[in-house]
Amino acid sequence: MSAAELTPLQRPTDRLRRRKAVNRGMEFLAWLSAAVAVAALGIVVFSVARRGASALSFDFLTKTQVPYDPTAKQGLANAFVGTFVIVGLATLMALPFGILIAIYVNEFAPRMIRNGISFVLDVLNGVPAIVIGFFVFGLIVVAHGQSGLAGAFALAVLMLPLVARTTMEVLALVPNSLREAALGVGSPRWRMTLGIVLPQTIGGVLTGATLAVARVAGETAPLLFTSSLVAYNTSFNPAHPLQTVPVAIFELSESPDPTDHARAWAAAFVLLMFILFASLGARWLATRSRRKLGRAAR
Amino acid sequence: MHLGDVLLQGAAALASLGAVALVVLIVYKVVEGARLSLSTFGLGFVTHVGWDPVHLKFGAGSFLFGTAITSLGALILATPLAIGIALFLTELAPAGIRGPVTALVETLAAIPSVVIGLWGILVLAPLLRDHVDPALHSALGFIPLFGPATYSANVFTAIIVLTIMILPIISSISRELFLGVPSELKEGALGLGTTRWEMVRGVVFPYTRGGVAAAMILGLGRALGEAIAVAMVIGAFTGISWNLFNPGNTLAAMIALNYQGASSGLELSSLIYLALILLVFSILVNLLAQLIVRRVARRQGLAST
Amino acid sequence: MPKNGMLVRITLVVAAVAILAAVAVGTAGASHKARSATAIKGAGSSFVAPLVNAWINPVSSIGISLSYNPIGSGGGVSAITTKGVDFGASDAPLSQFSPTCTTCVQIPWALAATAVVYNLPGLPFLKMNGSTLANIYLGKIKNWNDPAIKKLNSGRNLPDKAITVVHRSDSSGTTFNFTDYLSSVSKTWKSQVGNGTAVSWPTGIGGNKSAGMSAAVKSTPGAIGYVDVDYAVVNHLGYMKMRNRTGKFVVPRLKGILAAAQLQTHPAKDGSLSIVNPPKSKKYANAYPIATYTYVDVQKASGANAAALKKLIGWAITKGQTYGPKLFFAPLPKPVVTFDKKQIQKIHS
Repeated sequence: MSAAELTPLQRPTDRLRRRKAVNRGMEFLAWLSAAVAVAALGIVVFSVARRGASALSFDFLTKTQVPYDPTAKQGLANAFVGTFVIVGLATLMALPFGILIAIYVNEFAPRMIRNGISFVLDVLNGVPAIVIGFFVFGLIVVAHGQSGLAGAFALAVLMLPLVARTTMEVLALVPNSLREAALGVGSPRWRMTLGIVLPQTIGGVLTGATLAVARVAGETAPLLFTSSLVAYNTSFNPAHPLQTVPVAIFELSESPDPTDHARAWAAAFVLLMFILFASLGARWLATRSRRKLGRAAR
Repeated sequence: MHLGDVLLQGAAALASLGAVALVVLIVYKVVEGARLSLSTFGLGFVTHVGWDPVHLKFGAGSFLFGTAITSLGALILATPLAIGIALFLTELAPAGIRGPVTALVETLAAIPSVVIGLWGILVLAPLLRDHVDPALHSALGFIPLFGPATYSANVFTAIIVLTIMILPIISSISRELFLGVPSELKEGALGLGTTRWEMVRGVVFPYTRGGVAAAMILGLGRALGEAIAVAMVIGAFTGISWNLFNPGNTLAAMIALNYQGASSGLELSSLIYLALILLVFSILVNLLAQLIVRRVARRQGLAST
Repeated sequence: MPKNGMLVRITLVVAAVAILAAVAVGTAGASHKARSATAIKGAGSSFVAPLVNAWINPVSSIGISLSYNPIGSGGGVSAITTKGVDFGASDAPLSQFSPTCTTCVQIPWALAATAVVYNLPGLPFLKMNGSTLANIYLGKIKNWNDPAIKKLNSGRNLPDKAITVVHRSDSSGTTFNFTDYLSSVSKTWKSQVGNGTAVSWPTGIGGNKSAGMSAAVKSTPGAIGYVDVDYAVVNHLGYMKMRNRTGKFVVPRLKGILAAAQLQTHPAKDGSLSIVNPPKSKKYANAYPIATYTYVDVQKASGANAAALKKLIGWAITKGQTYGPKLFFAPLPKPVVTFDKKQIQKIHS
């Protein structure tokens, strides 16, 4: 390249050398940032896996807590069952509610109401989990005492905006041609929505539900208010407060006893694995449903 | 009009109304619970420093200070890191590692706060206390922020924990924004002979400025509301201290640690007053982020016409 | 593609069933024992938790399935006031809380001491007096080699190390006992901070419940804290010999606790007793100055569980006391047991 073809910025000068050095410095910093993030993740997951592995055993998964008895064979079965029941109930509560809201916003609501409800959902999403926990405490626990149901309700409130929003997004992706075709052959609106549009979105809805489950499975604050005064036996009954994995981890972390810490790490490991699988599962479901909808649009 | 249509629309509308009612109910319940404290202390509560259950004088001052210093500290640390990651993923990463690194950074967001808190109190805190804090104190001790370091449960540990938690939010939003910069603009600048960094500084940053600001504010909102991880590592100290290596407390952590056994009705109501302040801040932060997003979208909409 | 989907779905279902089966097997084993017993749930003081937990196995043989949540005295009183549990446990009398359980009967059911624990390996059984301790907690004494501490421990090699003060961050009966003591030995403490289940601490970090307190002191070299003596022993925490008003330095063990208990042998009408900082006298020469009773609070109208509760508490104040000494709980003096038996009669369904 002859000197005449170089732009003013490209002319080789000291200034250019300095600018290139600055550029290299910035690129290095960008690489470093990524490395720091990956390292942070690696360190946390590695710590949890390494320390949790020693306490992970068949007993750990199947026996319940026996507090203050270092000789007893114990585990966290009560917490695993409790989390399963409470998160399950929360999903059952949030899913239909969220889907109905998404249907209203996408299929029926005039523009202004649509914006209003999206706004309300965003506000709900921004309320800290601890305030929601306190809200359910005031609403249900003060009058009726703690229970797995109250905990499930608190988690459902946390899941609602996520489920509603992802369902709204997937509903919007369904091509209008499909709706018009159904209406064109005389199908009533409700059957068109429930029987034709909604099934197209199952993948997306499941993605939203899975993401919401991954989000609330690890929530501690709302459960402290609603389901923390537990009996230590393993129970499926949500009318009573049930022990849950995040609350168990929180309590065990405060203990001075290293075997309690080991159990906390093991519980954290199981929780982390579950959440990672759920998140990866959601991502896989999302790509699958996007591919399917892409095909349907053609 | 079919019966089915009426039923479906009715049910869906009812559900939506329910969501609105839920938000209203939340605000109402929190205000109602705080009423005793509101009428006893009024707005002076917000600035009063100290929490005295014996003499029945409560105030949010020290917790507001703690919330501010931890959230802002985390934001200051996380933002450059997050932008660096986003730039790396959009400009520098070889195609093969782009996907995995994106997934890894998003996985960081999935780690529950109680697990990060557990790691924070059992692994990070002793490490910082024994190796990092004293080194920072001896190097930068002339700045009041880096005073004597003896505690393991302190504000600095909480800041590091919060940084890890808000990093993925800011970085994934920034990444999406950087991907959205029209390539003609970027190539135009590069064609003029700018270095990659100059292109980023001159094209990408100005173009995405509003969106990145919104991302930072969303990260801030997350940091404000984090109760559990912070409660586990911050040391539960009520008071104002500029030394990052001293323990502290935040609005959310204080509520989490104390609601269970408030020794008086006034104390419980004051804890709910703290929750009210937290709620107001969270909603304001949320609104601010949405406002910025809307303004940016409008400006970009105009720019493309 | 369809085949893949089916496979995934089948795997998920099989996995879920397997997990449920494993858990059901584990559950079945556990619930067999509990089926015929009455479930009694309690919550509150972490101070008394070691003793209550020691009772869980023996009371299953009298038909009671006991479970206990050590959420702190404040939490216990709050829980029994709202009837969220069958009994609440607190080291501070009900009169210290507001709101409190006005329909409850208060029964002193255990007797122990608050140890002043510290983390200085190689320096066991340091000597301490009330005014110096108060100054440490007021933030006036900041280092272990302070002259006031040196004076009490001449000949010991006290290090140049900052004192990390640890207190309770939750509403705690142990805090009530400790601040009660500090208020009686330091006028400055009494006027500046006062006495309560939660106070405005001039300095230091907070640990949540006795477990959190022990963990904080254990993991922080140079820390000082206060906790029920059993936690100190179980966690190998050093504890101090406290100077009583007669001039002797006493450890928080059974002898010191029983000597202090002589200060008030008959409970007040509401069931409370105060045995903190006994005066100078030959009678209290061996008294440990920070000893305390701890109470169980039960609703007078306890519904279906009233009979089981009466059986439980009746057992606790008699047979249950034999589990105490190993955990540094002194047996209840006879007049207290007599009073308690009358209190138990007030519980009905």
